[in-house]
Amino acid sequence: MISVQHITKRYGTFTAVNDVSFTVDKGEVFALLGPNGSGKTTTMKTIVGLNVPTEGKVLINGIDIRTNPKEAKEFISYLPQRIVFPENLTAREVIRFYGSMRRLSKELADKALATAHFNGFSDKTVSEFSGGMIQRLGLAVVSMPDAPILLLDEPTANLDPQGVKQFREFVLGMKAKGKTIIFSTHLLAEVEQLADRVGIFVGGKLAALESIENLKTTFFQSGSIEDLYLHYVGSCENENR
Amino acid sequence: MEYKIIIRIARQELTVNFRNKWTVLFAAVFGALVVSISYFGIMAEGFSGMQNFTRTSASILNLVLYIVPLVSLVMGTLSFTGDKGSTELLFSQPVSRAEVLLGKLCGLFLSVSLSMLGGFAVAGILISSINGEEGLIQYGFFVLLSLMLALVFLSIAVVVAVVNRRKSKAFGISLFLWFFFVLFYDLLALGGSALFKGQDANLFLFLSLFGNPVDMVRVATLISLENVSIFGAAGAALLRFLGGPTSSILLLTISLLMWIVVPVKISQQLLSRQDI
Repeated sequence: MISVQHITKRYGTFTAVNDVSFTVDKGEVFALLGPNGSGKTTTMKTIVGLNVPTEGKVLINGIDIRTNPKEAKEFISYLPQRIVFPENLTAREVIRFYGSMRRLSKELADKALATAHFNGFSDKTVSEFSGGMIQRLGLAVVSMPDAPILLLDEPTANLDPQGVKQFREFVLGMKAKGKTIIFSTHLLAEVEQLADRVGIFVGGKLAALESIENLKTTFFQSGSIEDLYLHYVGSCENENR
Repeated sequence: MEYKIIIRIARQELTVNFRNKWTVLFAAVFGALVVSISYFGIMAEGFSGMQNFTRTSASILNLVLYIVPLVSLVMGTLSFTGDKGSTELLFSQPVSRAEVLLGKLCGLFLSVSLSMLGGFAVAGILISSINGEEGLIQYGFFVLLSLMLALVFLSIAVVVAVVNRRKSKAFGISLFLWFFFVLFYDLLALGGSALFKGQDANLFLFLSLFGNPVDMVRVATLISLENVSIFGAAGAALLRFLGGPTSSILLLTISLLMWIVVPVKISQQLLSRQDI
């Protein structure tokens, strides 16, 4: 469903992502795990077509995101790391606008708002919303188009514990619907609970690509996922030295 | 390119801008100034009451040449260097980058235009009710040129914002460009002409006119108001050089259109190759 092929992204002399390749199959939940600045967001933004790779390409259902972006993006729904909506628009106006970008009806947009428990708040402006409500509105925008692929960039970074719980329920619900999900995080518990496979990013490189099942059977017997993560981060840092 | 998508983005941009207090303030201040100038413009000459359309256009011209480029550059820069979270979400939708750019530009242009048209319309109604409709066509052409000037500087603002994604830097460059086009350019052109002699100096000055949309609007408006005599012998030479009033206005209008199309094409090309 998603094929990332030898992606490299350089900013001048700095290499943010270095020859990263992986595939994500239909219905799979894939986590990009790594410390801050390890290349997760750059990779995520390249998959969505927001970043132009220096080398390599991304295929969404066999469609190159660079050469046919509109067609490829029909399959994708993306939640940025920090979501912002115009403060003087109401929740209804926001969701209807994003619905109109995908040629969806107003009724469907209103339904997505109701599903996200926005009843009573639909006609209030974004300036009146808490951070959690804005994130919920973001998730409503992302889930509205029923796109087969969801890309979520550090979705729990700004959430309180209740928001994190709601996000987990959201991902599990989407997984049950057969969606393909890629999310980036530096929280190991999220990976363990939600992901089928994990790609560990260190210093712009994909240090490891493992299924959670494999990790559990081969590594967890002798340690936790935290030990595994530190093992990869440590060995990559040693290599770089 | 899907025009429906462009219209939807433009409508959203218009809604956001019209609920912005700065747009409302600009509309109110611009309207108050236009109406005040129209009403009190000839008091200095010992008369009182409303000027006719020709005098009003000439009086408002300087206001337009100073304020419209500034407001367009500021609004354009602020809109196109918008918050990353909002920009990323919009560009991740199944829309092309060109559709987003054109949609936002159209919405911004509508916001600035409607803010200006309010003032122009009130002044127009007052003048026609008191002094009749003489000069209404010239007034209409002046309004059209003012709107074109707004679109020129919005297009320039888009280039600035696409090249410099950091709001503060883009804002600073926009202010510099306003100073450059509104205040420095004429000095540079005059200084440059001193390097040449006779006809060459004249030719340099005439050609330099096309390098500044502010000057182009000024000259086109004065020609349409049959006020080019304000330039003295240089005005007569200018008209001769450009081939008479009608062809002068046509040439200047086409050149202004180029000042809109070229920056938009440049920003479209740059945007297609860069990270969001």
